[in-house]
Amino acid sequence: MELLSNLGDGLAFVLGVVPILTITLGVAMGIVAGATPGLSPSMGVALLVPFTYAMSPTLALILLVAIYIAANYGGSITAVTINAPGTPSSVVTAFDGYPLTKKGKPGMALGVSLVSSTVGGIIGTLILIFFSGPLARFALKFHPAEYFALAIFGLTTVASLGGKNWIKAFIAAMFGLLLNTIGIDPISGVSRFTFGISFLYDGFALIPALIGLFALSEIFKQLEGGDFSSQQVESGKQEWPTAGAYWKLKNTIMRSSLMGTIIGIFPGAGATIAAFISYDVAKRVSKHPEEFGHGSLEGVAAAEGANSSSVGGALIPLLTLGIPGSASTAVLIGALMIHDLTPGPQLFISNPDIIYGLLASLLLANIILLVLGFFGSRLWIKVTTIPKTVLFPLIFAVSIIGSFAVRNSFFDVAACLAFGVFGWILRRYNYPVAPIILGMVLGNIAETNFIRAIMMGGWTVFFTRPLSLGMLVVAAASFAVPLIQARKQKTSS
Amino acid sequence: MKQMLNDTKVKITLRVIGLILLVMAFLLLVPSAKAAFPEKPIKIVVYTGPGGLIDISARKFAGIAAKYVDVNFVVENKPGAGGIVALKKVIQAPADGYNLYACTKSNIAKFVQVGGEGYVDALHWTAMLMADPECVITNRKLAIYEWNDIVLDALATPGEQTWVGPAAGGLDHVTALKIWDKYGMDAKWIPFKSGGKALAALLGEQGVAYVGNPRDALGNPDLFIAAVSAPQRLEAFPDVPTFTELGMPDLENEFMWRGFALKKGTPPDVIQWYDDLFKKVSADSEWRDFWAKGGIDVAYVAEPEFSKLVAEDAKVFEYYLKKSDILPGEAVGFMAKMASGSAFKILALILVCIWLSGSYMVHKSQYSAILGRVLVIGFFLIVSILFLIQSMNFPSSSAVGPAAVPRLWIFMLVPLNILLLVKTFRKNEAVAETGPRVDIVLSFIGFLVIYLFAMQLFGYFLSTFAFIIVGLYYLGYRKWRNTFIIAGAWILFSYIIFYKTLYVPLPLGMLFENLF
Repeated sequence: MELLSNLGDGLAFVLGVVPILTITLGVAMGIVAGATPGLSPSMGVALLVPFTYAMSPTLALILLVAIYIAANYGGSITAVTINAPGTPSSVVTAFDGYPLTKKGKPGMALGVSLVSSTVGGIIGTLILIFFSGPLARFALKFHPAEYFALAIFGLTTVASLGGKNWIKAFIAAMFGLLLNTIGIDPISGVSRFTFGISFLYDGFALIPALIGLFALSEIFKQLEGGDFSSQQVESGKQEWPTAGAYWKLKNTIMRSSLMGTIIGIFPGAGATIAAFISYDVAKRVSKHPEEFGHGSLEGVAAAEGANSSSVGGALIPLLTLGIPGSASTAVLIGALMIHDLTPGPQLFISNPDIIYGLLASLLLANIILLVLGFFGSRLWIKVTTIPKTVLFPLIFAVSIIGSFAVRNSFFDVAACLAFGVFGWILRRYNYPVAPIILGMVLGNIAETNFIRAIMMGGWTVFFTRPLSLGMLVVAAASFAVPLIQARKQKTSS
Repeated sequence: MKQMLNDTKVKITLRVIGLILLVMAFLLLVPSAKAAFPEKPIKIVVYTGPGGLIDISARKFAGIAAKYVDVNFVVENKPGAGGIVALKKVIQAPADGYNLYACTKSNIAKFVQVGGEGYVDALHWTAMLMADPECVITNRKLAIYEWNDIVLDALATPGEQTWVGPAAGGLDHVTALKIWDKYGMDAKWIPFKSGGKALAALLGEQGVAYVGNPRDALGNPDLFIAAVSAPQRLEAFPDVPTFTELGMPDLENEFMWRGFALKKGTPPDVIQWYDDLFKKVSADSEWRDFWAKGGIDVAYVAEPEFSKLVAEDAKVFEYYLKKSDILPGEAVGFMAKMASGSAFKILALILVCIWLSGSYMVHKSQYSAILGRVLVIGFFLIVSILFLIQSMNFPSSSAVGPAAVPRLWIFMLVPLNILLLVKTFRKNEAVAETGPRVDIVLSFIGFLVIYLFAMQLFGYFLSTFAFIIVGLYYLGYRKWRNTFIIAGAWILFSYIIFYKTLYVPLPLGMLFENLF
């Protein structure tokens, strides 16, 4: 009951004028930061750190968290409208969101992505509020073997992503994993495959690869087809989802939100794996799996519900243990420390007002996100009605500045362009490009935890720990089932 | 009449040209007029992303320095390669004092690893501002957490005890190696991506000890500081014994330092300005109180003592990094020699040539569809082979060395590609038809490459303006007024949002930077 009264105090605080304005500002900035490829939520958050220096710690945290939440949603806007996912986790949103735009229904995708994000965000927050204690204790028990198993589980989604091109999908994933090994080995500190190029010490940055493989290769493809004289979508009346359409998605949204929160607890693994696994599951249980990849609303809902709810999950280790799960949450810890507060379990006792103010603000931020997103969607859907002759050069300009901004480096811009050409060639020969991104995201988690687990417990550790064994068995099954099904279809037809 | 009009036109043109020349001359002369330092904002270049301790130090410093000097400090995060990326930014800029490198002892480990002594010597080590003692943190929930028990346990089970901490080759790892060395212990170091994640592993009972700084143990009652490496007990942690008290005076002064450096060759008057400022800030009570709570000693060490300290650190790092196989030794064995020698370059060149001549033939050949598919497979195979040869050169002291996982991926990539190759020849799969306008794609790739080079020469804004106009024109957009409005609006947007608000240092172009 103490929890509820604390939460009540928190709510009473955030319903003031100043907190509401602060949250609204944060949400608006977050949407923009998320929607612009190359601007990450952590950059948006970092930008405001000097300003928050002068604010009260609670308000500062509320502002930063609002940006964080909204940026996670913002990434889906450009994924839907121009096939340029603003964040790695919104790659999955692009799978079905962009095909919907191509079919002339960007409104359907934007609407579903907004509502799934909001519902996912609220569910993630509620789980954070009521179960953070036990979940944090559970998360501490994760052994590197379990992280490895989770990464492998994420990788097996490639089998169903690839469909009948599964060999090509796996080649793409393995190539992404191999690209990820470029740079300084996080375990031994040895530099690998850098060929003496200092830009490669940290490997390829993810965002330029993402922009190149998705946005640039898509434009190249459309240019090649001579398909640039019109608009993507006719201007005029847009189609938006009806209440009934949302209601039909309730199971998908609920399921992906629960999965997103739980996977989000793994510090560092977070949103992207959650979105991929949730999409994979949604496809398997769907009555219309054939629509996935061609504009399925369930696909959009599964991706967005999972990546937004993972925010709640990622905040669990942060608030209860003081351990950052991602670059953005690391900035939150910095913001606490600059206000002379020490993150960790003691914060619940020493400053409950801050913790519960923050938790209450999460709920409010999601509601404000829904409102701003509702009006915003009517605005940025106009992007799809810009004539392609104007839109394409501008997408190039956004891609260049976005990939430069990631690390302020020309190397990244050149890499983005190279990935664009590479993606264009791969698509022509029916290789899916998303597994490359998945490989690049999961490579580090898979490798470091594989080696850590062996250093700690020898080669057998993956099979002697029940949780790891269980996840590996599920992964093996989810890998084998689509292949067997494909083979059956082949022999019967 | 006409003649007269032409004359006036010429006159006006000449006047305009004269005026432009005058303005340019003025602009050229202005910077050479000596002004007092600083006349523009100073960048503090931080080698990590926002949120880490060095980032907080830089931001806190900026806040407190503002009390004493009327100058705007801007923190610029340039993460990458353990500080090398940020270092390059500082040493590639002019030595005028406007780029201050926020450095830590961990940088020295990375400099030693990557650049030898060149990097250490490229900087003027201006001020060390704090010394953060190293300590061993344990978990109260575990059966052993007192320092003496840890030592006894390690000696009883050589090679079994597990320690957790941040990246291999960093300060905390080297400190652990030193501790084990002095006590004759043999334990395992399991590195994590960050100190925070290693602490989570300690709390999750996956290791018995963590090496870091006392501040790391704040905020969580389960964490216990077993021993600290300081000459005497810390004021903020009076219950924590020092290594000297525990019978190991050799470990009385291992600490993490943080400070600032400038590019070597910065004018003496600018260095004097900084020396004064650092003295004032390090005496500031707000600054001292902020750090004291974490057991951090607020110090002030300037040149030449700071340089001596750095040189000594470099020696120690070199010794331990060699000992733990992180610094590469001599190439041993045929394959390793192959990977590091010129034979590798020749092989790479040959493979690339074969591949390129193949792709040149794609459009000429009647088998273009199948050739294209084979070329993509060939690309993956060539990358696999080159990477495999490179991996022969990695140190392999342990069973799962740095080569293990890349090889795992390669050994999956190669058979998959061979399988696909076999399939390609067995069955003709439908490939997307080549679109009618490959020429447009190729021209755009050409534009983008030119645009990239133009950006470095003429700066972001001018070349982007030109690129957008050319792009729109090339795609057939002919409304000129709109074209200029669109290009102009983008320039304005990128200037205000990216350049001014987000401090993304968009290149101004070598031509202009040298002029103004």
